[in-house]
Amino acid sequence: MRPLPDIAGADAPFWQALRRREVSVQRCAACGTYRFPAARTCPHCRSERSEWTAVEPTGAIETWCVFHRAYFDGLPVPYTVIQVRLDCGVRLFSNPVDVETNALRIGLPVEAGFDDITPEVTLLKFKPRKDVA
Amino acid sequence: MPALSKQSPVAVVGVGHTRYGKLPEYDAYALGLWALTEALADAGLKFDDIDGLIVNRIPDYQRFCEIAGLDPNYVSITPGQGRFSGICIETAAALIRDGLARTIALVYGNNGRSGGERYGGAADTYGSGGGGQWFPYGMSSPGAFHALMARRHMELYGTSPDHLGAVAKVIRAHAALNPAAVMRAPFTLADYHASRFICEPLHLLDYCLINDGGVTLILTSGERARDLAQPPVYLRGYGMATALAGSSFPPDDFWRAPMGKAAAASFATAGIRHADVSTLMIYDNFTPTVLFSLEGFGYCAPGESGPFAAAGHLALGAHYPTNTSGGHLSESYMQGWALNVEAVRQVRGACGERQVKDCAFAHYMAAAPVCTSIIYGREPS
Repeated sequence: MRPLPDIAGADAPFWQALRRREVSVQRCAACGTYRFPAARTCPHCRSERSEWTAVEPTGAIETWCVFHRAYFDGLPVPYTVIQVRLDCGVRLFSNPVDVETNALRIGLPVEAGFDDITPEVTLLKFKPRKDVA
Repeated sequence: MPALSKQSPVAVVGVGHTRYGKLPEYDAYALGLWALTEALADAGLKFDDIDGLIVNRIPDYQRFCEIAGLDPNYVSITPGQGRFSGICIETAAALIRDGLARTIALVYGNNGRSGGERYGGAADTYGSGGGGQWFPYGMSSPGAFHALMARRHMELYGTSPDHLGAVAKVIRAHAALNPAAVMRAPFTLADYHASRFICEPLHLLDYCLINDGGVTLILTSGERARDLAQPPVYLRGYGMATALAGSSFPPDDFWRAPMGKAAAASFATAGIRHADVSTLMIYDNFTPTVLFSLEGFGYCAPGESGPFAAAGHLALGAHYPTNTSGGHLSESYMQGWALNVEAVRQVRGACGERQVKDCAFAHYMAAAPVCTSIIYGREPS
């Protein structure tokens, strides 16, 4: 079986938001810095006050790699992992959809693609934005 | 014992290691003790001379001291991450200068090969709190982390697979001259390209080995070092800096900022320039790390490391012979420790066929979320 996220843990609001086709991360209520995964304090100002906030589901590719060695049952190789920086500043690892690996480049604008892999779990993937060059 | 001044020299006086390879009859404790015994013999010291001990990757310091029959005044234990070899050596120098211990053994034992250690998949603990967060997307392993960095370097600067291959090839050529190395058969650039991808753009030959072994370094004050069996090799300069905030993801600058800080501190204390360095010992967990290190520690400009390596500057006989032992890629995966042993032996002039001519200074450097830089020299000042 493919590896599944812990949807009931500290990041539960993130996983619940994906079911609603939203991207939600923690926002520091004191300084406004966004963070993910969940943490009790803000690494920028150390405030403990925070709220889960829907952010623009857009960002840009920073880099990528292609797995040829299988590390997980249920994830056949080759597959591509991308590093994405959301416009709110949060970084994520993910997989690309609707794009060939050889068309990836640094700075490629991407937007969320929601992948329902089980009745409970939606993964956040990314596809090239059609609305920007 | 009075504390030494900050300028008092500290020296490596003993180095020792096990055989490298598959050693299923030894656990990490036994590998560490084997290496410690070798290092004591090398230095002409006895177990009772050790009054400081830092163990690395060995599971428990108390059990190690029970097994070895040691009661050091100072003891500590450090996690099995490669960045800790440099940290331990620099810490030992500070402890000796501060008078907490006089003669310190740094003991490393790694039975990862026989213990079935895995660096990717469900058991992967690389990075900040382990990488499990990203398993659903298939992201796992230190190799993939470095593949992401390598791809970015290629896109930004035109670094090519041939450049990575040049690093792997020259380090293997050096291993061919080292009887202790696990992998000694030289290969061509064509062989490199033919080796399978593990995590593209990285091939199998871009990855370090996984093998069993143990290493020990023994350090003491320069004053005491003069009376021992080997010519002292002095820690002429050292520095350390980190980039730990946000370190779940590859750094934008390939760790250039912390490498630059660590390098500047070590060169300032040593009072030398890069051109004075005779040989480089670069933490080579993966070939791209060697390129990032050449840039970050100041041997070439940002983005120029690929052509620099491909031009042959890292070979024995060139200006900066690099990883003359074969490093992690070809000698042994001793997480920085064996590279420090090689630095010491090069400065001693004890490297036989692979000896760098007139080796006055050897520079060990490690690029990671904790960057360390150590300059070894033949003279105390």
